Amino acid sequence: MSTLRTVDDFVTLIRDELGLPVAVADLDSSLDVVAGWDSVHLLTLCTALERATGRPVSLPDVLAADSLAGIYAAAVGR
Amino acid sequence: MTSSVDRPAAPAPQATSAPGTRPAPGTSATPAPTAPTVPDTQATPAVPGAEGTTPTDPAAVLAELYRAGDLAREYPRVRDLLAELPDDQLERAGRLLDRVGVDAVLAAHPDTPVVPVVITGHGTVAPLVPLLTAQLARHGLLLRARVGDFGGYLDEFAGADGTELVLALLDAQLVFDQVPLPWRPEDVARTFAARIDLIERLLTGSTAPVVLNTIVLPRTFPAQLVDHRSRAALGAVWREANARLLRLPQRHPSVVVLDLDPWAADGIGVHDARLSVYARAHLSPALLHAYARDVAHLARARAGGTRKVLALDLDDTVWGGVLGEVGPDGVQVAETHRGEAFRAFQRVVKQLGAQGVLVAAVSKNDPEPVRATLRDHPDMTLREDDFVRVIANWRPKHENLRDLATDLNLGLDSVVFVDDNPFERGLVRRELPPVAVVAVDDDPAGHVGRLLADGWFDTLALTAEDRERPQRYREDGERRDFLHSFDSLHDYLAELGVRVRLSVPTEAEVPRVSQLTLRTNQFNLTARRLSPAEVATLLDDPASTVLAVRSGDRFGDNGLVGAVFLRRVDDVLHIDNFLLSCRVFSRGVETATLAEVLRHARETDAAAVTAEYRPTARNAKVAEFYPRNGFARLDGSRFRHDLTDIPPPPEHVELTGSWPPGGQP
Repeated sequence: MSTLRTVDDFVTLIRDELGLPVAVADLDSSLDVVAGWDSVHLLTLCTALERATGRPVSLPDVLAADSLAGIYAAAVGR
Repeated sequence: MTSSVDRPAAPAPQATSAPGTRPAPGTSATPAPTAPTVPDTQATPAVPGAEGTTPTDPAAVLAELYRAGDLAREYPRVRDLLAELPDDQLERAGRLLDRVGVDAVLAAHPDTPVVPVVITGHGTVAPLVPLLTAQLARHGLLLRARVGDFGGYLDEFAGADGTELVLALLDAQLVFDQVPLPWRPEDVARTFAARIDLIERLLTGSTAPVVLNTIVLPRTFPAQLVDHRSRAALGAVWREANARLLRLPQRHPSVVVLDLDPWAADGIGVHDARLSVYARAHLSPALLHAYARDVAHLARARAGGTRKVLALDLDDTVWGGVLGEVGPDGVQVAETHRGEAFRAFQRVVKQLGAQGVLVAAVSKNDPEPVRATLRDHPDMTLREDDFVRVIANWRPKHENLRDLATDLNLGLDSVVFVDDNPFERGLVRRELPPVAVVAVDDDPAGHVGRLLADGWFDTLALTAEDRERPQRYREDGERRDFLHSFDSLHDYLAELGVRVRLSVPTEAEVPRVSQLTLRTNQFNLTARRLSPAEVATLLDDPASTVLAVRSGDRFGDNGLVGAVFLRRVDDVLHIDNFLLSCRVFSRGVETATLAEVLRHARETDAAAVTAEYRPTARNAKVAEFYPRNGFARLDGSRFRHDLTDIPPPPEHVELTGSWPPGGQP
């Protein structure tokens, strides 16, 4: 039973878990320019995504992503 | 790299560690399978001016403060908000606090104590930061973290200057990355030994506070050996190496080794394959959290935050049943299922009391049945003598706790209060914020785990004084009764027969002197905390003098109750710090000691004695100590005595001792 259905859910999750003030408009930006982004956040986000989707996320796929949208795609399998 | 993980070798989640599948460190010692709910929310004041929409769940309150940009300003509330959060919420809270940053909090609250830490290890260690932030915040401490370079722990050891706590995280890859392939147990033994040799070489001569840990052996290693004899051999060499790590503090006193095996035994997974492979994070997040918890307790002890008093509710906390309803014979303390659980709890309390924790009872009961139960119940483990005070009456508990602290001459921030009743806990939390409140519930099997979860009484080293402390506090009660039989304080002191003995501390007394600097908060003129290694360094310094103060009276020996740190610069003797245990205030011990220091300064041709008072939250009562004893004020906090008029020691005090040896220390 996933609580992650839309990109809006994804943005909310990032804001709640990481405290980062991201918006939907930031999703396609390179991770390098996302304000406050740190690569350690990937680790936190993976855990949170697995909790939200209720299923494992492919870690190598998430690591290969270069934007928040890419992470979302890896997490929801699209 | 500082606080980030290299992208190519980045992070990984813990698919197998969804909430609830792994016990949180805070609750793992508690057999109850559920994580703590969020009890006692009535103790959490709502955000002012936002009634109706304000969340009462502490995690939600914290998140709301963060969103509103108020977290730094409201930081003093954070300790309570975090007090009983489950681990996943604590980690999130730690991330929010990290986003706010230590400097923003300090700007709003400059007096918040800061713990500078450098984190280093063999693998990725940055995920420890938010965990440590949260765990330190639970004790009112701010983390200032620096994450060392990847694999750079050796440099950090060598470069440590003593101002930062050095956390060197050790994991199994530290050994297995160096083991040849194929390997046998003897290869592992050799490699592990070489790693410890290296660590020891770096520690030699260093007084930097370094934290090491035992390395739990993940099953993937013994399981690679197909014969049982080799597996057993690997287990043996591994444990021998861990035992060697655990013995390092014997030779390197500034080192602390955290034993992580008990966390593993409590069911915390130590290894997460994906995190280890993809992110080089070789210790699981759950184990890192347990580690953070231990480090926070250590930092709290180093900052002088060790609690001293364990105040216990009685009905359904110490014994099963309500005494007023079931009578002295009806309370459960043995034999029955629940009775055995209370017996186990009482045994742990007795064990803590034997190590210097002052155990008190604070119970809503009539006093006589309480005394009769403690005295006469055949199966009671705790007896009247195990308590420094037994308070049984019908007053609100916060009033009793306040009186208890005053009576013991300790601050409320020395007190841990345990009660099964949420109402009583909430009241004490609201009325007495400095008191640490431990929640136990209606299942007494969990009492022991709850009491021990936060290491409230953890200390760096135990001394002989600690073991005798409860007895001395009981003697204080007798002293007070004696006092009440006199018309004046002067008559009382004259009859008390106070003895003061000054001496240079022996090697065996160094830990106690260090402990006084760590534990003493009220009579502590500059609050400079010193590890045993730092005290030893001062003893070796020819310009420096350390004095141990012992006292006693007709009721017994008080033990090593004070210390004075002196530094001679040309013809001025400077008092770096002056400390006295709160147990012996106001009996002339401090005046006699200071008079002796002044007399010694004059005899060694000093032109003056200078001193300093550095205010803290707790030492206001000694702000006027130096001026009251003839020192002139140079500026707000510095003082000078020109040695022309030295007061004699108080008449009722007998000074003895081996200092100064031959008059010239």
